[in-house]
Amino acid sequence: MTAAVTHQLQSGAFWYLFAFACLAAGVLIPGLLVVLSRNLLHSALWLLPCLVSVAGLFLLLGAELLAAVQILVYCGGIVVLILFAVMLTHGLGHADIRVVNQQLLWGVIGAAALAGVVLHLLSRQMWPIGSATAPADVTGRLAEALLSPYVLAFEVASVVLLVAMVGAIVIARAEPE
Amino acid sequence: MTSAPLIPIHSYLVVSVLLFAIGLIGVFTRRNAIAVLLSIELMLNAANINFVAFWRYSGGAQMEGQVFAIAIITVAAAEAAIALAIILNVYRRFRTVNVDQINLMKG
Amino acid sequence: MGGYELYLIPGFPLIASLLIAALLLRRGERVAPFALIAALLGSLSLSVWALSLTEGHRSFSTALTWLHVGSITLEAGILIDGLSSIMMIVVCTVSLLVQIYSIGYMKGEAGYGRYFAYMSLFSGSMLGLVISDNIAQTYIFWELVGICSYLLIGFWYRRPCAAAAAKKAFVVTRFGDLGFLTAILILSFQSHGILGPHAVFGFRPLEHLVGAGAMGPTIVTVVALLLFCGAVGKSAQFPLHIWLPDAMEGPTPVSALIHAATMVAAGVYLVARCYFFFAAAPIALFVVAIIGLATLFFAASMGVAENDIKRVLAYSTISQLGYMMLALGVGGYTAGFFHLTTHAFFKALLFLTAGSVIHSVHTNDMWQMGGLGRRMPITAITCLVGALALAGIPPLSGFWSKDEILAAVWFSAIPGGKIIFAFALAGVVLTAFYMFRLWFVTFTGAPRTEMAAHAHESPLVMTIPLLVLATLVVVAGGLKAYVPWASGGIAEVIRFGHGEDRASSVVMAASMVVAVIGIAVAWAAYRASVISPAAFNARFPAVYHLLKNAWYFNRAWELFATHVVIAGARLAAWFDRHVVNGMVDGVAWISGWIANRLRLAQTGQMQFYALVFVIALIAGLIVVFGRDQSLLTLVMRRP
Repeated sequence: MTAAVTHQLQSGAFWYLFAFACLAAGVLIPGLLVVLSRNLLHSALWLLPCLVSVAGLFLLLGAELLAAVQILVYCGGIVVLILFAVMLTHGLGHADIRVVNQQLLWGVIGAAALAGVVLHLLSRQMWPIGSATAPADVTGRLAEALLSPYVLAFEVASVVLLVAMVGAIVIARAEPE
Repeated sequence: MTSAPLIPIHSYLVVSVLLFAIGLIGVFTRRNAIAVLLSIELMLNAANINFVAFWRYSGGAQMEGQVFAIAIITVAAAEAAIALAIILNVYRRFRTVNVDQINLMKG
Repeated sequence: MGGYELYLIPGFPLIASLLIAALLLRRGERVAPFALIAALLGSLSLSVWALSLTEGHRSFSTALTWLHVGSITLEAGILIDGLSSIMMIVVCTVSLLVQIYSIGYMKGEAGYGRYFAYMSLFSGSMLGLVISDNIAQTYIFWELVGICSYLLIGFWYRRPCAAAAAKKAFVVTRFGDLGFLTAILILSFQSHGILGPHAVFGFRPLEHLVGAGAMGPTIVTVVALLLFCGAVGKSAQFPLHIWLPDAMEGPTPVSALIHAATMVAAGVYLVARCYFFFAAAPIALFVVAIIGLATLFFAASMGVAENDIKRVLAYSTISQLGYMMLALGVGGYTAGFFHLTTHAFFKALLFLTAGSVIHSVHTNDMWQMGGLGRRMPITAITCLVGALALAGIPPLSGFWSKDEILAAVWFSAIPGGKIIFAFALAGVVLTAFYMFRLWFVTFTGAPRTEMAAHAHESPLVMTIPLLVLATLVVVAGGLKAYVPWASGGIAEVIRFGHGEDRASSVVMAASMVVAVIGIAVAWAAYRASVISPAAFNARFPAVYHLLKNAWYFNRAWELFATHVVIAGARLAAWFDRHVVNGMVDGVAWISGWIANRLRLAQTGQMQFYALVFVIALIAGLIVVFGRDQSLLTLVMRRP
C-alpha cells in the first residue's frame, strides 16, 4: 500500500493528502468522543464535527450534492432532533453512575475483532482503480439517476419520510388521560 | 473538485471500517438509549463513506453509489425520528432510558 | 367331481344361523328350529356321501386360497377321510337329535330364537373344525366353538352363576388355546421355506414333512406338547378340567351337545388329526397318556360325591375323555376314536334323559327325586341303556369301545403299563358305581318330594330323540367295522404299542367283572340299603371331604390366579409405570433440561443480542474468506 502511495505522489498530492488526514481525524476523533463521553449532551454535540468532517470527505471525493445534503439533513436535522430528545430526557442522566453496561470488555473485543478481520481482508485485496480524472457534471448525472432509473426509490423514500413523520407523532403522543 | 484521486482507495475504506467499529463499540456498551442511537448514526455514516468511495474509485460514471448514499441518509432521518419517539414512550413507561434495564423479553 | 359342494357341510348350519338371526328380527321364532333341522339334514346327507367317498382308505382334499400375508398363505380347505367323515356323521346325528329335543325342552323360554341361532352357529363351527384341512383353519373354528360355548353356557345371562360359569369356561379354555396358538406360530416359522416360499399349515403336507424328518425332534415334541395344551383346555383334561362342571349352568341340550358329545371331543379329535406329530415324539405321547390317566381317575372319584345329576354326568364326561386321551397316548389310535364316537351317543343320551327329568321335576338334585322310574318309564329305560353303555356292559357299544382301550393299554409298551392298566380298571369300577348311584337314587325307591311324586313323562318331541339315541347306542358297536378307515394316512404304527385290534379275552372278562362289581356296590348302597354311605363318610372323613371339594382344584387355581398371575401383573404394571413411562418422561425431562440451559441466552438485553450477531458475522467471514477467497470476485461477480 505504501508503494502505491509513493508512486502516486505529485505536487498537489501533498495538499490532498493533508486534507484527507485532517478530515479523517475529524471523523474518527470526534466519533470516539461521541462514544466515550460520560455526558450525554457532550456526546450529541461531538457528533456535529464528526458529521461535518464526513461531508468534507464527500467533497474530497467529488460528491458535492451529497456533501450538501449531508450537512443539511444530518447535521441540521438529525443532530438537532437528538439534542431535543436529550433535553427532554436529560434530567435522568445525572443519576447514573455507570455510563457503560456489563459487556464493555466483550463489546470492545467484538468490535475490534470485526475491524481486524475486515481490515485483513481489505489488505490482501487489490482494488481496481478507476480513471484519474473526476467525472464531469456529477450533480446533473445524480439528478438524472434519481429521476430515471431510480425514480421508484426516490418516490418511496418520500413515502417513507411521510410515514415516519406520522408514525413518530402517533408513537410519541401523550396517552389520553 | 475534479482533481485525480491520489491516494489508494484503501485509505477511505480503513476510515470507514474504523468509524464503523467505533460506532459498534458504542452500540454494545452505552447504557443510554440515545447514546446508542448516536452510535448507530456513526455506523450509517461509515457505510456512506464506503459507498461514495467506491463510487468515485470505479470511475464515477455509475451513480448507484451516490444514489444509495442519499437513500441511506433519508432512511437515517426517518429512523432517527421514530427511534426518538419510541424512546420517549419507553421513558414514560419504564421511567428510564437505560437499555439494559429494559429486558421484558428475558427468558 | 369338484368337491366344492362338500363346503356346504359346515355351510348349511352357518347359513341357517344367519337365517335365524334374520327371522328373529321379524319375530319368526317358531320357524327357527326347523331351519336348523333342515340344514342339519342336508349336512348329514352330505356327510354320508363323503363317507362313501373314502371307501378303501382313500381320502381327498381341496382348498381355496383365502389370504396372502407375506410368507403365510391361509387356505379354506376341506379334508375328507375316514376320521373326518365319521366324526361329521356323529356330529350331525347328535346335533339333529338334540335340536329336535330342544323344541320341546326350550318351549316357552324367552330367547327361544336366540338359542337356535347359537346352536346353528355352533353346529356349523364344529363341522368346520372337523372338515378343515389345515391347522390354522382348525384354530379359527376352534375359537368359534369356544365362543358358541360361552354364549350357550351363559344363555340365561341374567343369572350370575351362569354368567360366571360362561366366563370361567372361556378363560380356562383360552389358557389352553395359548399353547395351540404358539404351536401354530412355531409351525409357521419352521415350515417356511421347506416346501416352498410359504409357511405350511395343511395336515397332509405337514405329515409328509414330519415323516421325512424335515423338522428336528425337539421342535416336533414341543409342537406336539403345545397342541396337547389346546386339547387339555378344550377337552377338560386335568388340570384344566375345572370349567366343565360349572358349564352345566347352561340348558341341558347344550350340555348334551356341546359338553358331552362334540366340542369337548374336539381336543381328542385334534390329537388324532395331528397324530403324526405325536407319533414322532414319544415323550409327548407319554404325557398324553399320563394326563389322560390322571383325568380319568380324578374325575371318576369326584363324580362319586356329587348330588347334582348334571354335574355327575359332567365329571363322567371328563373321565371318559381321559380314557380317550389315554388310548391315544398308548398307541390305541383306533380305540380312542371309536370310544369318542360311542361316547358321543351314550353321553348325549344320558344328558337328554337328565334333561327330561329336570324338565319334569324342576330340580337338579338327585336327592329330591326318587321313584321316577314308574312315572317316567321311557326316560328311565333309555337312561338305563345309557348307564349300562357307560359302565361297559356288553353287548352295548360302550363295552366294545372301552374294552378296546383297555386292551390297548394292556398290550402297549409304555413304561409302567401294568400300573396304568390297574388305574384304568379302577376307573371302570368308579364309573359303574357313580352312574348307577345316580340311576338308583333318581329312578328307584320312593319319591322324596312332592314334585317327584307328581312328575310326568316328557312330550314326544323329547322322548323320540331319546329312543333314537338309545337304539344307536345299542347298535353302534357295529360301527367298529368302519372305524379302521379312520387311521388311513397314519403310516407307521405307534412306538408304544401294537394296541390296535388285538383282542384279549382276559381283558374283556376283567372289565366286565369290574363293571358288575361297581353296579353291585351301588345297588347295595343306594337301593338295598345294605351299605350305608353315611357310615362310610363318617369313617373316612378325609376321603369324603377330598371328593366333595373336587380335590380342591378350584381352590388351587384360585390361589394361582391371585398370587402368581397378579404378581406378574404387578411386575408388568411396575415396568410400564417406571420404564416405559420413565422413558417418555425422560425425553420430556431432557427437553426441559436443554431448554433451561438454552434460555440463558435469552437475556432480554438488546446489546447482548447485537454482540452475538456481530460475533456470528465474524465467524461467517472467517469461514467464507478463510481460504484466500477473494472479496472482489465473490461480491462483484464481474470479470
